[in-house]
Amino acid sequence: MSQKSSSQLTRRQFLKVAGVTAAGLAATPLLSACRSVASGPVKIGVLLPYSDIYAVLGESITDAMRMYFEEVGNEAGGRQIELITEDTEITPDVAQQKARKLVEQDEVDLVAGVVSSGVLMALRDYFDSSKKLLICANAGANPISRSLKTPYIWRTSFTNWQPNWPVGTWAAENVGKRAYISVPDYAAGENTITAFTNSFEAAGGEVIGVQRTPFPNMGDPAPFIAELADAAPDLVYAFYSGGAAVTFVKAYGEFGLAGKIPLMSSGFMVEEDVLPAEGEAALGVFSGLHWALLLDNPENKAFTAAYKERTGRDANVFAVQGYDTARVIVEMLNRVEGDTSDVQKMIDALPGISFDSPRGPFKMDAKTQNPSQHIYLREVQEVDGELHNVVIEDLGEITDPGDDSLG
Amino acid sequence: METFIIQFLNGLVFSMLLFVMAAGLSLIFGQMNVINLSHGAFYLLGGYIGLSMVRQFENFWLSLFLAPLLVAGLGLLIEYFLLRRMYGAHRHLDQVLLTFGLALIAADLIRWNWGAYVESVDPPPQLAGQVAVFDIQFPLYRLSLIGFGLLLALALWLLIGRTRLGAIIRAGVSDAQMVSGLGINIQLVFAGVFALGTALAALAGVIGAPVLNLYPGLDFEILILTLVVVVVGGLGTLKGAFLGSLLIGMADTFGKALWPQFALFFIFAVMAVILLIRPSGLAGLKGT
Repeated sequence: MSQKSSSQLTRRQFLKVAGVTAAGLAATPLLSACRSVASGPVKIGVLLPYSDIYAVLGESITDAMRMYFEEVGNEAGGRQIELITEDTEITPDVAQQKARKLVEQDEVDLVAGVVSSGVLMALRDYFDSSKKLLICANAGANPISRSLKTPYIWRTSFTNWQPNWPVGTWAAENVGKRAYISVPDYAAGENTITAFTNSFEAAGGEVIGVQRTPFPNMGDPAPFIAELADAAPDLVYAFYSGGAAVTFVKAYGEFGLAGKIPLMSSGFMVEEDVLPAEGEAALGVFSGLHWALLLDNPENKAFTAAYKERTGRDANVFAVQGYDTARVIVEMLNRVEGDTSDVQKMIDALPGISFDSPRGPFKMDAKTQNPSQHIYLREVQEVDGELHNVVIEDLGEITDPGDDSLG
Repeated sequence: METFIIQFLNGLVFSMLLFVMAAGLSLIFGQMNVINLSHGAFYLLGGYIGLSMVRQFENFWLSLFLAPLLVAGLGLLIEYFLLRRMYGAHRHLDQVLLTFGLALIAADLIRWNWGAYVESVDPPPQLAGQVAVFDIQFPLYRLSLIGFGLLLALALWLLIGRTRLGAIIRAGVSDAQMVSGLGINIQLVFAGVFALGTALAALAGVIGAPVLNLYPGLDFEILILTLVVVVVGGLGTLKGAFLGSLLIGMADTFGKALWPQFALFFIFAVMAVILLIRPSGLAGLKGT
């Protein structure tokens, strides 16, 4: 009798357990679906330099990104947006560690940022093999849009070729035929040399010398300036950014070369972030860039006013790129309806994105995974008692060729 | 030829800046047998305090005087409360750990207070002009640094070589116990020398700012440069610091002019060669 009752109980118990288990198994896919879609914030890893010569670039990009996200209520695709920032220290090794930390420890949905071309080159393989999406907000290393293209890295900024190549032709036609190039010794410097040389020589110019200075810090700039003076070219074409730009341009002025030998560069060297520190020495410098503070369109006017109110400083090209990066991320998230579980879905949403940006129409070129954009020829002039870049010519819409044929 | 002279002048400017930095370190090394890895931090701190003073009082000369005093005061505190417990050659590792730790703390505090951007300081208006040297306009401020460095070298030489205090310091370098045995308060001398060394580092920071700018990370670059100068020139002697500064200053300048890509490496190559030929440096004391 006791056997019969225990087995009856056991059978009932068994049925109960089996029933609950079956229900649980049926519910699990439902539950996990709820978890991955529209629950929890979208975690965006922000990998930027917050120290040394490029610190102001990192902070400008971050400020502008936060500004855009706040404009859309910190929400996209039905989910909240959360930023996790890390300092690359402009050092490839450190940047790799921080990238790993963001992707593997913090488990971010995507990464945005990277200022230095050297860092981007070092991170390229990591993002490619870990299949994590990186929206590059600055670094212009050419190979990332050419021979080393990977589906997981898209840019909202530029290739180093873009702001330099059209200026070569303009320089040969308007300034002089003998140029001396001065750049820092890393990827972005090399890209500058090849792009400028290609069009400058095609237009009848001659590059009489190239000077590669220690990166990131050149120490005492005097010996380099003295070499430039000794070579006596028709113009000096340079690329420096952030703190290095201040060092170079100030020394150029201190040794009396400003106004004597025309100085030209890609726009970063005299951008709004460094102009105040450079002072008089920057007056008259010609530069090419995909944006200018005084560019006359409604988006730019609104953007520059909002940025100035938020940070107390004038906007700069890095801020514009940060702003556009945030917008691209939001538009992408809206298109995938917040589903960040499938990186291919996110990637497929990117090429079609276009909108009006402070730099003009923003068009993502699917082939080079980089914007097609206008390059403006600017000159540093005094405007209402302050130094700013004034657009003196629009060099047209420039798209990276996707290979090294044009430098 | 003209470029050579210009570059020679550039080298002289950098050498004198290095000398002001190195003199302090050499004194501390030589007199107290203390390895001070926070030397670069004192340089940067002096520079940033100078920057704040220039912004506040709009007077470069004031900061030239005050910043080193403030930093020397800090140096005295550090010496009294921290460093004093670890004198002696057998405590070198402790000194390294302490001063390096202080350097790391200082670096973060500096960054916290003054930010991470590169800051530039303008030379004082009296020295803001240029002097025509051949085709180049050579900045007057840099030329004045040459004069300043030479004057400082002379002043230190007189102090160390021609005064009683200097004699005590030199005796202390040779044999601290003996000096103590003569009834001289060697602790006070040590403290004074450490203060002087840090004051010189801060002074270098103030006068160097218009040339090298100020940014987090500069402290360790300066430390390495100064260590190279002191090792090459010879530990413990003023003559060593002077010769080392000249050699390294010129090597750096001409290295940049002739082989810009290898400029960073060139100084260390020079150091390696010198150490192979003369292990105790150009004018060092034997056995250091």
